[in-house]
Amino acid sequence: MASYSTKAFLILGRINISRSRLQNATNRATYVSVLSMNSPTGNRASCRYQVGVPRTEKMPVDQDWTAVYPSAAPFRPNAVPLPVRMGYPIKGGVAPDKKANLELIKIPNFLHLTPAAIKKHCEALKPFCTEWPLALDTDAKCDEHFPIKVQTTHFVSAGPSLRNPSARIVHLKVKLSSLNLDDHARKKMIKLVGSRYCKKTDILTITTDSCPLRKQNYDYAMYLLTVLYHESWKIEGWEAEKTVADMEEYSWENSPSQRNLLDTLTRMKVVEEEGGEEVRQQLLGQAEVQEYKDSVTRLKNEGENEDTLLQYKEAVKKVLKL
Amino acid sequence: MSFNLLQQHLICNGGLIVVFGVFFQNRAARIRVGKGDKPLTYEQAHPPHQIGHRKGWLSQHTSNLKGEGGAAERTTEDVFIRRFMFGTFHGCLANEIVIKRRGNLIIVCALMIQKLPPQKFYFLIGYSESLLSHFYKCPVKLEIQTVQDRPVYKYI
Repeated sequence: MASYSTKAFLILGRINISRSRLQNATNRATYVSVLSMNSPTGNRASCRYQVGVPRTEKMPVDQDWTAVYPSAAPFRPNAVPLPVRMGYPIKGGVAPDKKANLELIKIPNFLHLTPAAIKKHCEALKPFCTEWPLALDTDAKCDEHFPIKVQTTHFVSAGPSLRNPSARIVHLKVKLSSLNLDDHARKKMIKLVGSRYCKKTDILTITTDSCPLRKQNYDYAMYLLTVLYHESWKIEGWEAEKTVADMEEYSWENSPSQRNLLDTLTRMKVVEEEGGEEVRQQLLGQAEVQEYKDSVTRLKNEGENEDTLLQYKEAVKKVLKL
Repeated sequence: MSFNLLQQHLICNGGLIVVFGVFFQNRAARIRVGKGDKPLTYEQAHPPHQIGHRKGWLSQHTSNLKGEGGAAERTTEDVFIRRFMFGTFHGCLANEIVIKRRGNLIIVCALMIQKLPPQKFYFLIGYSESLLSHFYKCPVKLEIQTVQDRPVYKYI
């Protein structure tokens, strides 16, 4: 056992850089002890270590709080000068106070993130930041100059390992309107990608997760986009065999609806007139027939709702002169 | 589980008869009411169903979130750390140990009674920190607070 002395020795925490401060910010044990000469070594019961004044008594009102809690730390009742209470109150009493309160230690506290501390963080980070380019002041301009958007997720978790297998997934989003595609190329591209294209927002989403690393997945996604683009511009021989069932949109020309309408109209007109082709051309040029064509196309492409059905009804009434 | 009197009577008559209407009393982490001289800390006074209502969690880490892995490893680490602390600071612990994790850093917060001289405390803190850090290959920090007596919430 070390020999006791009447001299009080101030227990400092771990020796750290700012030795000039008497009150150490990283003080682990939060008490100061003075051992008297008279206490016997073995007798624990009567040997009471004198507890010093808590730090809260010595804090000036205008102190620098960022020095008391410079980084995230558990709650220290002797370093926080607030009369907080936490816990369920006992019957006829109040919540337990902050001394030796485990509930206050359990919860995360943000005493190290006061506005003054955050200001200091910002000042420290400023030298590493660059200005936002002034030319990119609207979303539309950002989309115009940077049409491809890549989304990746980085994970932080508690534990000895940094790795998370979900971190390798890469989502690549691009609007087809920003790509240089003609009508055929656009239709072919949409057929090639299938469900990855959203018609409402005109965004093609390529999600890659087959490679083990994020960089590999990103390269693969860019490669897929390039290949899709070039392939959709090529015209293969078998594309000439495209049937009506393969068409993406309804077109009225050479459809059963056109044939039926023209038959009905020719039969409605004078029966003797055998015009044949000319009569059909003349009929097609009429405004009502064009209206009917528009309404049927709209109905087939957009589906049935109030607007389209109303338009169809009006067009039919006009065409059949009801 | 404890049985009530009715069940015990049936067993000693011969054979084990399963009787409906017998209720089992839950004994998990509950200190039974005594004469009124048993001091209880806040932790001991509240049974486990109060966790999330009147009590917090002693150990918090991201592995318990949905879709995160490593929960079993963190739990075994916690169990070991609690036993280690109980044994190293024998008789000095005033309350349960709180374990926090931040990235790969493990912070062990403990409340101690002022039973040992401070030099011994410092030695034990340094010893625990270095041993646990080497053991888990992660920085382990101890945050010790000392009190004169065990904090009493109520007497049972």
